[in-house]
Amino acid sequence: MNRSQRIARDVLVSLSAQRSRVLLMMLGLTVGVAVLSAVIVIGQGTRERIMGLVEKHGLDMVMVRAGGDVQIFAPQSDRGLASLVEADARAVEAEVPYVDLVSAVQNQRGISVVYEDRSVITRAFGVEPTWLAIRHRDVAEGEFLSESDMAAMARVAVLGVKVTRALFPEGGAVGRTVRVNNDPYTVKGVFIELGTDAAGVDDWDDRIVVPLTTSARRLFNRPYLEQIVFRVTDVRRVPETAERVRNLLAVRHGIGPGQPADFFVREPEDVEGAALETTSTLSALLLAISVVALVVGGLVIMNLMLASVSQRSREIGLRRSMGARASDISRQFLLEALFVALAGGAVGVAAGTVIAAALGAAGIASSRITWVPFAVALVACAAIGVVFGIHPARNAARVDPAASLRGRAA
Amino acid sequence: MIEVDGLTRLYRRGTLETQVLKGVSFRVRRGEFVVIMGRSGSGKSTLLNILGLLDRPDGGRYLLDGADLSGADDDARSAARNRKLGFVFQQFHLLERASALRNVTLPLLYAEQDSGDSTERAERALQAVGLTHRPRHLPSELSGGEQQRVAIARALINDPAVILADEPTGNLDAQNGREILEIFRHLVDGGRTLVLVTHDRAVAERGDRVLVLDDGRIVGEEAVPTPAAGTRSDAAGAV
Ligand SMILES: Nc1ncnc2c1ncn2[C@@H]1O[C@H](COP(=O)(O)OP(=O)(O)OP(=O)(O)O)[C@@H](O)[C@H]1O
Ligand SMILES: [Mg+2]
Repeated sequence: MNRSQRIARDVLVSLSAQRSRVLLMMLGLTVGVAVLSAVIVIGQGTRERIMGLVEKHGLDMVMVRAGGDVQIFAPQSDRGLASLVEADARAVEAEVPYVDLVSAVQNQRGISVVYEDRSVITRAFGVEPTWLAIRHRDVAEGEFLSESDMAAMARVAVLGVKVTRALFPEGGAVGRTVRVNNDPYTVKGVFIELGTDAAGVDDWDDRIVVPLTTSARRLFNRPYLEQIVFRVTDVRRVPETAERVRNLLAVRHGIGPGQPADFFVREPEDVEGAALETTSTLSALLLAISVVALVVGGLVIMNLMLASVSQRSREIGLRRSMGARASDISRQFLLEALFVALAGGAVGVAAGTVIAAALGAAGIASSRITWVPFAVALVACAAIGVVFGIHPARNAARVDPAASLRGRAA
Repeated sequence: MIEVDGLTRLYRRGTLETQVLKGVSFRVRRGEFVVIMGRSGSGKSTLLNILGLLDRPDGGRYLLDGADLSGADDDARSAARNRKLGFVFQQFHLLERASALRNVTLPLLYAEQDSGDSTERAERALQAVGLTHRPRHLPSELSGGEQQRVAIARALINDPAVILADEPTGNLDAQNGREILEIFRHLVDGGRTLVLVTHDRAVAERGDRVLVLDDGRIVGEEAVPTPAAGTRSDAAGAV
């Protein structure tokens, strides 16, 4: 062991001989770190829960439908409304803030899909490659549509699970050629199973998806769209983003105030966005409280260390007489503050995570324990120990050994 | 071993000035037991602190083992305290929360090199002062005499050439005081240099030479008369 290590060990031995003093010193910091780590654990849990809800319900997606306000009711048959065009989609993409992915969508029922002696009648969608992420879908086998499929107007299709089962009961759909309205299409992929929508009307598994260019030029052979779907970067911005899109499309379609629109913007319910809002306000408040507690905890350590320097001036003088350099003394007191702060942080982070996990288990809050609160506590307490330990350590190094050894009391 | 020449020390607090040392000169040879006597306030502790490199004189010269450290930095002076000097105080100055053994090992913390098994060295040092039992006791659980033995063992652990003792028997009863002086005599016989401050005539008689400090100057120097040597060997025989 070198000199610094010996001094560090000596500090640990000294501290372990006076645990009640250490407990008193670290208390404030422990409270601060406990609140801080509970906020982090609950914050991360809440974020994760909301991200899960966003994934599951597509809360970050807004859909624009062709046709007017009557479209609140889901259309049972496709109408030939020629109001939405691809330029509208590009305008939304280019002009509306918080929109990161956009896909124009066409769809049509009554499409026949045949493989050898099997056939189904299903609904076909023409979409852009971004559609997969916007709708939170995924492929189970093969791949989704690509930009080069779009550019080539490729005759490729991704099949829903029900279509796949009907045509390929033995599996192995990917790579086969099926006939869609009598034209040959290569099966590029198969979607994961999704089931029906909440109302039980729309069957997500009973459909096929082809590139938008293919549907517009070949399969449906028409330019207008049924939908534009887009993703909003921040769930909390969904309502204002939907409003901006409404205004933009009204201008583009020449619809004055009070006139009925020829499109309909449907946004997801905003319940979770509001929940996220309250949670973040609350955690900002708790975060502020914990920062105050951390600073107070640091000040407590500093003041008790300053008191300890004057109480222990004789010890300092004695150590100097034994050969301690001024720098050894300041190192001793700095390490003492640092170790106390780290001990306070360790207890605090343990208490905070346990409390947050208990709240999570009781269903009062969402919690998720990661390494983050531990790293934050370590860094914060090391910084606090050093920052608030420097002043007492300097004072300790300045104690005059000759004067401090003069006193009479033992 | 120790050479001082014209040492002066002035304490200043505000406009209040106290000239404590007014030019102190003397020498101590290696292996000598020198006693510094003087009435209270004559500057004995001040002088000893300067000899111990805990304080710097305002003027004069001090050579410790041939080296002048008056202009040296804190690191060099601290290293010299650690290697060459051992202190014994009237108030023992033991760490209250540390066992006897840990108190004795403290100087090893500040040594340049690691000293191997510090516990073993501390046990040997305690043996040298005749305190083999109770190594795990706290100072508050030891008698005054035992506490001072622990303090001497601590002063010895780095094997210093010079021991500086400020009223080491001042807080002890006569019997314990005699025993502590026996230990010191042994150390000097073993080749160590000892400077001991006291105002007790009986204690002074155990030294080889007595310097009398008064009003900031050495006013007298006397070799201890021969009868003391006789007492000394009697006592040594009794230990
Ligand atoms: N830090 C200081 N500031 C001012 N005066 C001081 C200081 N330290 C000591 N003195 C004064 O210096 C003088 C000598 O003090 P010192 O402690 O050296 O005496 P001493 O001979 O050891 O006395 P005693 O036998 O009582 O221990 C005293 O008058 C004391 O008041
Ligand atoms: Mg004194």
